[in-house]
Amino acid sequence: MASTSRRLKRSGLTMPVVTERFISNAWHRGCDYINMDLEDSVPPLLKDVARNLVRESIPVVNKGGADAVCRINHDLMEADLNAVIWPGLVQVNYPKAEYGHEIARMDGIITRLEAERGIRPGTVEIGANIETAVGVANAYEIVTASPRVRDFGGAAGYDMSRDLGVEMFVGFDQFVYGKGEVELAARAAGREPHAAPFTPNITGSVSDPDRAFAEADAARKCGFRIGGGLHPYVVEPQIRGFAASDDEVSDAEWVLQEYHKLARTGATWVQVDVSTADREDSPRPMPADSYLGRDRVIDRYEAARAEELLQWRNLCRERDQDKAEAIDRVRADEAE
Amino acid sequence: MSILVRRSNLIIPAVQQRMIRWSWKHDADAITIDLQDGTPAGEIQQVRKTLRQSIALAGKAGAQVFVRVNAGYVYADCDAAIGPGLAGILLPGVESAAQVIEAAGTLTELERKYGVSHGLLEIAPAIETGAGIWHIREIITASPRIRQVGIDEAALAASLGIAQSAEYDAFVYARGRVCIEATAAGVQPVAVADPIGVSTGQISHEEMVKIATDSRNLGFKGMVCGHTSWVAAVNEAYTPAESLVDYYTQVREVFAQALAAGTAAAPFAGRMIDVPVDEWAKDVIAMSAACAARDAEKQAALASAEAWPDTSVPIVR
Repeated sequence: MASTSRRLKRSGLTMPVVTERFISNAWHRGCDYINMDLEDSVPPLLKDVARNLVRESIPVVNKGGADAVCRINHDLMEADLNAVIWPGLVQVNYPKAEYGHEIARMDGIITRLEAERGIRPGTVEIGANIETAVGVANAYEIVTASPRVRDFGGAAGYDMSRDLGVEMFVGFDQFVYGKGEVELAARAAGREPHAAPFTPNITGSVSDPDRAFAEADAARKCGFRIGGGLHPYVVEPQIRGFAASDDEVSDAEWVLQEYHKLARTGATWVQVDVSTADREDSPRPMPADSYLGRDRVIDRYEAARAEELLQWRNLCRERDQDKAEAIDRVRADEAE
Repeated sequence: MSILVRRSNLIIPAVQQRMIRWSWKHDADAITIDLQDGTPAGEIQQVRKTLRQSIALAGKAGAQVFVRVNAGYVYADCDAAIGPGLAGILLPGVESAAQVIEAAGTLTELERKYGVSHGLLEIAPAIETGAGIWHIREIITASPRIRQVGIDEAALAASLGIAQSAEYDAFVYARGRVCIEATAAGVQPVAVADPIGVSTGQISHEEMVKIATDSRNLGFKGMVCGHTSWVAAVNEAYTPAESLVDYYTQVREVFAQALAAGTAAAPFAGRMIDVPVDEWAKDVIAMSAACAARDAEKQAALASAEAWPDTSVPIVR
């Protein structure tokens, strides 16, 4: 599990817990979390079998440093929670969340199970997935129903399209309002939004690495930090897409340096001609390409953005280091 | 629960008796006789006198018939309209639940007066202002008579000082809010007036199909048609295409095979098929069947209507 207090969720794989080869190979995929699915990818006849596999699967999927997560069934919530809340599980995803009282009830059950099973109180997060119009309409009451809901998103995808009666992959954003409402509710409640700007996808492919990168890159630039997918091919592109590029990091360092100079003058902003900026004490002589030849206004907003980017870069580094070390340990153990 | 199939709703000014006389030939799922726009104040009394005949004519080929009432004369307009063949009223300019409740009370009173089953008549609120968009939830949950709600985009644009254009879509939020809230409440959202906010004076069948398809893929369940030529395109767009039904039939087969093999996730045609895709496939196939049933119903009524002798209706203008 990540050593950082903020759990990073840039890339995750959702897989049916009943498919042994997926579960046994998940640990070396390099993603931040593995979402063991009890819901849509598990046939009704295997629901009981599936939920009873989660406990033993937790140490299998998280041994490479990924967080172990489980998506339960909306209509089997209590039975599923009883079967899956065990040490090592850090999040339960609850599909088709529609009312705050559902989340409050989950919170109560998880709190009891944490106490009974020796899990530090408050460990298990609730992912309240919005997948219906009712869920969008009640977004704020859902996201505020429990402090375990630390990030919040949805309002897109197959379930949402079915509820609205719209086709997926139509070439425009048929979910724009719902996504906006859910993001707004998350931000108003002080939770991290889980969303992405619209990027056209008319193929419906779940294994396209270029698209995965483009979507993650766009999401990060719009202030989102959470991804996930179904196919191993999208893991690395997502991690890369959510990472700040070298140019962006250099630019952020330059911005902070200029801002610190500004702070010493007592002014609140300064317009910098990037072509003549003092380059000697700048960590990067030129700002990012997108700013070439343009004046930059450096102010506290730019500085805050730069600071967030560098913090994010550091978190990503730490997380990637944690995972790499965990994978090395497993491989070393296996070699012995 | 049966699926409400009301894809096209052809709106015709009540004074246009010639259009009303032949309105049944256009294959609309619904026809709305408009007492609000296009009826000079001096002629409203005369129009009301022929309203029941107009409703009967419009409904000859199986269309459900509505009347758009004047917001200021709901009682008088409804009093003139209620009778055999009336499905409900289109209530313009709704901004609050109180307006719906008042109209519902009027309908209840008049249903009793004319011996119509209580609750039979629908109210379809038309949202025309920012206040209506904001209060959408309380409006559409104010009465069980509401099965559809529409945004009158031309009226909304006028009330907000928006010049509608194809270049900029001013109603992304309004449409999204109405679709989400209506769907959450179990009410069908419909697009009303100029579709997607664009003037459609000279529009081809193909362009209209595209506009209506986009509208369907935003979550709308039908469209009010301001021109007879739109009806066929709207019906087409809101009816699952044969190719789509074929595709989802295959999806169901693939998914059934996957379940039999012990998994609920299977690749098909480059996509991943799982429970929600199979559920959506069921919905598409069911919608296709419901549309076919509605079309057959109208076809039977049309055959019967064509056998009728022409009904003599006074021409007002």
